[in-house]
Amino acid sequence: MEDRGRPWKTEICPTKLRVNTNFEVPQLMSFVRACGQSQSSLWLALLPFAALLLLLIAPLARLALSGFTGEASWLGAASSSWSLWTPWQDDYLRWRVLWSLAQAGITCVLVFVLGLPLAWVLARFEFAGRALVLRLLMLPFVVPTLVAALGVLALWGPRGLLSGWLGVNLQDTPWLLLYGNLFFNLCLVVRAGVDALGQINARQVAAARSLGATPWRTFWRIEWPAIAPWLMSSLCLVFLYCFAGFGLALVLGGQRFATVEVEIYTLVAHELQLGQASVLALWMLGLTGGVALLYALLEKRLAAPSRVQPLARRPPQGLAQWLALLGALLVLFAICALPILAIVWRALAAGWSTWVTLLDFEVAAALWNTLRFSSIALLLATLLGVLHALAAQRSVLWRAAAFLPFVVSPVTVAFGLLLLYPDWTASLPLLLAAYAVLAYPFVAKSMAAGLDSLPPHVLNAARTLGASPQRTFWRVTLPLLRPALRRGMAFAAATALGEFAVTLFLSRPEWATLTTLIYRRLGHPGAASLDQAFVLASLLMLLALLAFLLIEWPVVEREVPGWPVAGNVPMGELRHA
Amino acid sequence: MLELRHISQNYGDRALLQDINLSVAAGEIVALLGPSGSGKSTLLAIVAGLQSPLGGSVWFNGQDITRLPPEQRRFALMFQDFALFPHLSVLDNVAFGLIEQRLDKSKARAKALAMLALFGLADHARYKVWHLSGGEQQRVALARALITQPRALLLDEPFSALDADLRTSLRDEFKARIQAAGVPTLLVTHDEQEARAMATRAVRLSHGRLAALW
Repeated sequence: MEDRGRPWKTEICPTKLRVNTNFEVPQLMSFVRACGQSQSSLWLALLPFAALLLLLIAPLARLALSGFTGEASWLGAASSSWSLWTPWQDDYLRWRVLWSLAQAGITCVLVFVLGLPLAWVLARFEFAGRALVLRLLMLPFVVPTLVAALGVLALWGPRGLLSGWLGVNLQDTPWLLLYGNLFFNLCLVVRAGVDALGQINARQVAAARSLGATPWRTFWRIEWPAIAPWLMSSLCLVFLYCFAGFGLALVLGGQRFATVEVEIYTLVAHELQLGQASVLALWMLGLTGGVALLYALLEKRLAAPSRVQPLARRPPQGLAQWLALLGALLVLFAICALPILAIVWRALAAGWSTWVTLLDFEVAAALWNTLRFSSIALLLATLLGVLHALAAQRSVLWRAAAFLPFVVSPVTVAFGLLLLYPDWTASLPLLLAAYAVLAYPFVAKSMAAGLDSLPPHVLNAARTLGASPQRTFWRVTLPLLRPALRRGMAFAAATALGEFAVTLFLSRPEWATLTTLIYRRLGHPGAASLDQAFVLASLLMLLALLAFLLIEWPVVEREVPGWPVAGNVPMGELRHA
Repeated sequence: MLELRHISQNYGDRALLQDINLSVAAGEIVALLGPSGSGKSTLLAIVAGLQSPLGGSVWFNGQDITRLPPEQRRFALMFQDFALFPHLSVLDNVAFGLIEQRLDKSKARAKALAMLALFGLADHARYKVWHLSGGEQQRVALARALITQPRALLLDEPFSALDADLRTSLRDEFKARIQAAGVPTLLVTHDEQEARAMATRAVRLSHGRLAALW
């Protein structure tokens, strides 16, 4: 093949052009063009950079300062002599930190042990409904955290579907939280595993078999080295999500098994111990930052997916393979589908009198708030995400910056905002801006992946056929990126609809959303309140699903066979913490 | 007449093209041969206006067009992967350039349909391009290139993605159509047999320099 790709990229990345000091006119032109393109990137990046700086980096820096100095006196809050090492010296806080680490670690082990065989079965066997199963694996990604927590309660909580039937009581045990963690993260690892196994070259496997390797040895020596980095990278994210998780731990952890994030919230919202909270938040920031760095290093080692000839899937043969498939589907059903079905069941069983509460003014107001906050946040997130992706075309560092809101916990962000902008804590623009910053990376990542998958020749073809750069953007680039944009927007919409942590910190009572209303209902004693929470959770789940289907479904219809899927958000980058 | 005068280009620190001079007359097909990585495609990109040369200039009919953006050159470039637009139908792919020339959409489509009929592809007009075979896609790419009545035709390994039988049968068809168009044509290839079958003249690009072959 000719030098396909490389020299053309010089056009895309003109800074690679060597510029000599003795300019001739065309050399000068190249240089000016390169500068022009860098400048346009700079302008594009301005808005997302400002958003990241003001709503993420500055609050985190303020939090770090507060943590190091151990005081929060500028807020007029009670402060005591807390040092940076207090979380490790105090028995209660040490338990919180260690348990947070332990539950994240245990979840990683569980999702790995369950996820790898499940991924292998889904990647290697062909069966009716396989595509549907893979699509349904996306479902937990759009279920709001609080809804998932209620799903676990509907199964194993008081009057739960399974706890009642089996006669077990899992309240105040770690199992509720671990089950919730599994619900979200098993799908993530299975999807990552299926994708990674799809990248294994059939020819390499055939070569290994022809050289005398058994199927098991082939897996161990050829397949495992290829998929291990992918799995490790997704496990890093699982750890991050579980460690920095808030909603699940708040509802399912109870007094004993709550995590550091819940502790930070309690210290800020209920005890006004801001100094202590900032020390804890600083530790969280350091620990999550360390794991995020490990994740970034692993990602860097992962080669970009190449066009390979994947192993052909075949129908299961023999009893053992059918049992393996059946078992895999059952495990997936039990962990990923049952909690969702349990909420529906509990909501339906709640009776007409509970459903009538949906007509209350409070619910209508919360529904209205949820819809308008999410819509505005989605618009802002789309604008920020598109600008970020376009600017990131020429900067690896800027591309990595889109990952920041994924790895920083919303509780830490919200607390940082509270410290940095004490006068604006109950301001709607700040709340909406925080929503947008947490949701926009979905759009940015999806669009960046879409832009990457655009073959440069297609755009060049449009130019040589007479289209100006602007016309090329409208007639070729944008239509080709529409699936990526819609996909990013679908995840951003689901994130905004289910947002909980930031709302809890920065909202006013009259700005209650469905998530905060569900949380309030959970705090009320009595079975009626719990039933109302289930009904509200069904409503929220329905909204998230509708938003997702409205934006995402046409993408499925329009995917082009044999064409790179523009803008697949890597499964690992979906956040539910 | 298409002329390249003293063209030079670097890739990183490497001198990819050094003092390239070449002229292609109207109706002439010049084959540009050379090993992989020799800079053939880069030279074609410079002629098309997709890359600026480090030094030298591109001339057409006595006019310096080095600074002219690609959309104003009216040179049709055909890529080895065809570069058809996957979101458009076969008809709209062919009509794309005419619409960019501000021709009314319905008129552009009517012209495109007539062109497709000429290429034996009228029945496929409403299909998306991925429904077509490799040879059919290649024909669509040529139809798309020729319909705008380009001032020059630039072919970047146009048959490399096709199997041997199809390649041979398409060569003659393409040669006839290009000669009928009567425009200067630069054909990049690494296949000498293909060059002999299609070109009136051939040059070889090696180590950044151009040498006449026949």
